[in-house]
Amino acid sequence: MIADQLYFEEVEPGAAIAPLVKRPTNVQLFRYSAATWNAHRIHYDKEYARVEGYDDILVQSHLHGCFLVQMVMDWAGPRARLVRFSWQNRRMALPGDQLTCTGLVTGKYQADGICYVECRLEERNQRGETCAPGTAVIALPSVTARDGK
Amino acid sequence: MSEPVQDHYETARQCIGLEERIFLGTVTALHFQRFAQASGDLNPLYFDREYAREAGYEDVVAPPIFLTGVLGWEAGPSEESLRQDGLSDSDTAFIKLPGARLMGGGQEIEYLTPLRDGDQVTVWRKVVDVERHQSTSGDLLLMKLEKRYYNQHGDPLVICRETMIVR
Repeated sequence: MIADQLYFEEVEPGAAIAPLVKRPTNVQLFRYSAATWNAHRIHYDKEYARVEGYDDILVQSHLHGCFLVQMVMDWAGPRARLVRFSWQNRRMALPGDQLTCTGLVTGKYQADGICYVECRLEERNQRGETCAPGTAVIALPSVTARDGK
Repeated sequence: MSEPVQDHYETARQCIGLEERIFLGTVTALHFQRFAQASGDLNPLYFDREYAREAGYEDVVAPPIFLTGVLGWEAGPSEESLRQDGLSDSDTAFIKLPGARLMGGGQEIEYLTPLRDGDQVTVWRKVVDVERHQSTSGDLLLMKLEKRYYNQHGDPLVICRETMIVR
């Protein structure tokens, strides 16, 4: 059974993207480093992380981006396509932090028969501080495709 | 600007314009499915062929963020050849920055073709720019890299503009 699909006509600028809350653990960080073949010790070796001046091991910069993409694509549905995505790492996060991803639709347009939706994204920690702002452009199906003309 | 950061700046500036081609090998579904598990993203598009077909793909696809998230693709390097912080010289685009503290700063990614099980991937990696930046936590460098990934048919998969923070 295919998940809910969002259609171009259903989306308007100002609409909120369904938020996603993540609480990364030591195990998650270890497995993320393993799956990306990343031996950087700041992600699994607390003593070493302290040498570099951090309180604990750090959530990988890329994993912040990963959470934002996951939020967008879960919301958009399986027939959506990610066209462009960007994020910036502004603030570090540690295991146990609660990271809440939110987003807003900022625009929509059609070009060459493709329906595009632009979004502004943000990941904040439990203190409300921004860890990673981002943007995404996705292509969504049109209801005319759903209704078979 | 503190002295080590100034040294790193001068070293990295020398590398602007350098470009290399790296064959990343064959990407398998197992690899990107492990990545999906590790990131806690269990979208059936990555795991379930029938589901992916219903959504318009020929087969399962990789999470969009997978390709630009993998740091190393080869079997090595040996533990002895790693830097003290565990990174390898390949991770810093072969710019040798001894003692530098490194961190990802973000990526801007254009998606052109979905990555599929069995694709053979080649990346072109280029050092585009190195900028100095003053932050509240001190001087740092922003190293800008561009990475263009292609499959075995020469189709561009992803173009990624990446920022690496060097302190």
